[in-house]
Amino acid sequence: MTNNVAIHTQGLTKFYGKVEALVDLNLDIVRGEIFGFLGPNGAGKTTTIRTLMDEIRPTTGSATIAGLDTHTDSVEIRNHIGYIPGDLAMYPNLTGRDTLTYFSNLRGGVDWTYVDALAARLEADLSKKVGDLSTGNRQKVGIIQAFMNKPQVYMMDEPSAGLDPLVQREFQGMMKEAAADGATIFLSSHTLSEVQRVADRVGIIRTGHLVTVEGVQALRSKAIRRVDLYFDNSVDASVFKPIDGVRDVESRNHHVSLSFDGSMEELLRVATSNYTLTDINTQEADLEEIFLTYYREAV
Amino acid sequence: MYANVFTKTTLDRWKPPLIAAVSLGVLLIFGMAVYRGIDVSFWDELPEAFRSVFGIPDGADVGGLAYGAIYSGYGMLTMAAVALAGGAVSVAGEEKNGTIGLLLGNPVSRTNMALSKAAALVAVTAVAFIILWLAGVATPMVLDVEIGTMDVNALVVMMFVNALFYGMFAFALSGWTGKSSVAAGVSAGVMVVSFIAVGLLPLIDEVAGLAKFFPWYYFSSGEPVLNGISWGDFAILAVGTIAFLVIGVVGVNRRDLRSQSVGTKMIDRLRANPMTHKAAEMLAGTARVSKIWIKTASEHQALLYVIVPVLFLMSVMIGPMFTMLDDTLKSLGEQFPEELLSLFGGGDMGTPEGFYQVEMFGMMIPICVLVVTIVIGTAALAGEEKRNTMGLLLANPVRRSTIVVQKTLTMILYAVIVGLGAFLGVAAGSLLGGLGMDMGNIAATCALATLLGLAFGALALALGAATGLTQIASYGAVGVAVVAFIINGFLPLNDSTAAWAKVSPFYYYLSSDPLINGMPWGHAAILAGLFLILVALSVWLFQRRDLRQTG
Repeated sequence: MTNNVAIHTQGLTKFYGKVEALVDLNLDIVRGEIFGFLGPNGAGKTTTIRTLMDEIRPTTGSATIAGLDTHTDSVEIRNHIGYIPGDLAMYPNLTGRDTLTYFSNLRGGVDWTYVDALAARLEADLSKKVGDLSTGNRQKVGIIQAFMNKPQVYMMDEPSAGLDPLVQREFQGMMKEAAADGATIFLSSHTLSEVQRVADRVGIIRTGHLVTVEGVQALRSKAIRRVDLYFDNSVDASVFKPIDGVRDVESRNHHVSLSFDGSMEELLRVATSNYTLTDINTQEADLEEIFLTYYREAV
Repeated sequence: MYANVFTKTTLDRWKPPLIAAVSLGVLLIFGMAVYRGIDVSFWDELPEAFRSVFGIPDGADVGGLAYGAIYSGYGMLTMAAVALAGGAVSVAGEEKNGTIGLLLGNPVSRTNMALSKAAALVAVTAVAFIILWLAGVATPMVLDVEIGTMDVNALVVMMFVNALFYGMFAFALSGWTGKSSVAAGVSAGVMVVSFIAVGLLPLIDEVAGLAKFFPWYYFSSGEPVLNGISWGDFAILAVGTIAFLVIGVVGVNRRDLRSQSVGTKMIDRLRANPMTHKAAEMLAGTARVSKIWIKTASEHQALLYVIVPVLFLMSVMIGPMFTMLDDTLKSLGEQFPEELLSLFGGGDMGTPEGFYQVEMFGMMIPICVLVVTIVIGTAALAGEEKRNTMGLLLANPVRRSTIVVQKTLTMILYAVIVGLGAFLGVAAGSLLGGLGMDMGNIAATCALATLLGLAFGALALALGAATGLTQIASYGAVGVAVVAFIINGFLPLNDSTAAWAKVSPFYYYLSSDPLINGMPWGHAAILAGLFLILVALSVWLFQRRDLRQTG
């Protein structure tokens, strides 16, 4: 582990009775990185975040944030953390501003000019009681609460829940700016387009086990992509089947479509050897397809 | 009516009435067993008027006190309170949880939904009273106790209809307001005032007739355990119950359903008004959230608004009332056996101290302090976890121990305020009535009540710290308090068990007669020590546990 590592977990494991919620999680997330944490419902994402926040204690293993142990140094760590829990709940009888004041007092104060700027940016109404706000507007108060002390590490569990697309974009911009300033963001989300847009790396967790950790670009480039080839004449599908990495070939009229994760050079060589290729269209897989592929493997 | 709405409501609500009924049944067995072991001949010496008030018939000595005190007295209060709690959440509970929209999103009419919920309330209450009836009939047979001419069937039937009356009253309020807290608060207030009025008014000839304006009169005045069912009284309560049911159903149909919205209070309007904004902000805004203990205090303000004025006024009233009743009481007091009075806190009813002890310090003041401390103790940790806000609170740089300590500070503050309210009330009552009670002794007794409340509040805190479950924290603390109260009241009646009363914290509250003898510092130290140990235990337990996440 180097000083550049913001979040480090070592064999982090959490059992609820005999249920394995999280098994042997080893992870390093560096400073300034936005780390997307993906997985189906009940995969262990929230358990990971709650363990890192010292809400629950690991059965075995340990974790550090900014070099400090998440259990023994938890109070010190929380000076430097912004947190949005999943299924955010706040005090219904307090206004947004009262809520922020309460948490700000527990932190020894915050810069209220910055808070007001955040509220303006998210179009959040801090004068209303939290209990009277819609889900999205309540979430805005939660986001401001996480950002207001300009933390070094952001722990976010489904932070975009209920936000409209415009506010989501604004929020993504806020995350990118924070990361550009050197903050680390641990982002658990089902909004895959958001993760794809902001994350540097992605970890996929399934039934408590970390399946893969990759850079978003690397993951996408390695993934199966859809290729459409157009010829001046009909070409039989069997021509492409022997090529390594080709799957699901279909031929209709002058159009051949296939899924492909092999060498593009080989595919083009075959396509142009005895036929006249008039057009080619290749589509990089988006995160959703990759995500679904990983999950389907579990079924 | 919808069978599945009925079934779900029944499954959601069966626990409190059944637990209450089983507890009362056990208490009846316990009470009769204890009385069986003591010399009960003193009953024959009791004045007729007193026996009648407590529903104690001739020749039914052992069972008489058991049925009178356990069933007709606090048993009835308990069952009516449980029923009104169920009635208050029938419809408004769904609104508070935000599930009413989902429920009525199905092809379900409001009328049938409300009727199904009311039917569930009747059903769980009926089952609870069947348990009470079985315990009432079986206990004397098992213990071989002669119950004379007492009519247990009539008593249980009248208790059932009386409980339903308050349950449906709360249902009607809940139906019209959509606010379970308003429904529960108002109906509980009416019940308590009614109970007290019907108990006290007949003692004063000039106002005795006013008792008829309070519904409790139609349960207690006919003395069903002595005289069987008074069908006139039964009809009044039954018609009232049905009327409240209809009113509730009409209310649900007439108004807008509430969402989880918290509504606007007076203080919110003052904050919104530029003229009053600054002053209101001081009260409700920044100041309110400056510290964990202050915010906790602001969340429980309503408790004080209700409890302290009622406690104060009642404490004040007792003084002049003693002067008015002085002679009658003195002659009564001479006839009262010490054993009997110990159940009601002990003391000589013919003296101001004894009268205050029986009327206020025996039950009323400890109940008020315990309600406040147990509510705060339960909400402190388990409540915050139930609301899912503990994770967010602990995302700030605060130690878990700090949270426990700060919330305990609120509990201490509130217990002291209730104790102070009682002190001021009793002191004022003594001055108004010219009773000449010792102020230092009143203060000492109120301080002991405060310490007693803190011990049980800390128990709720510790149970919440251990489990994170509000039900375990509140029911656990209340259950232990009831058992401790009973132990302290009953065990001293029998020489062979008297020493065991010392296991009850209540023993260290009044056993030394602090109103007469002043502060028993040793007893105060024991209660304070118990409180501190339980708070320390709460810190230890809470630090070691995974936080719960609901939802």
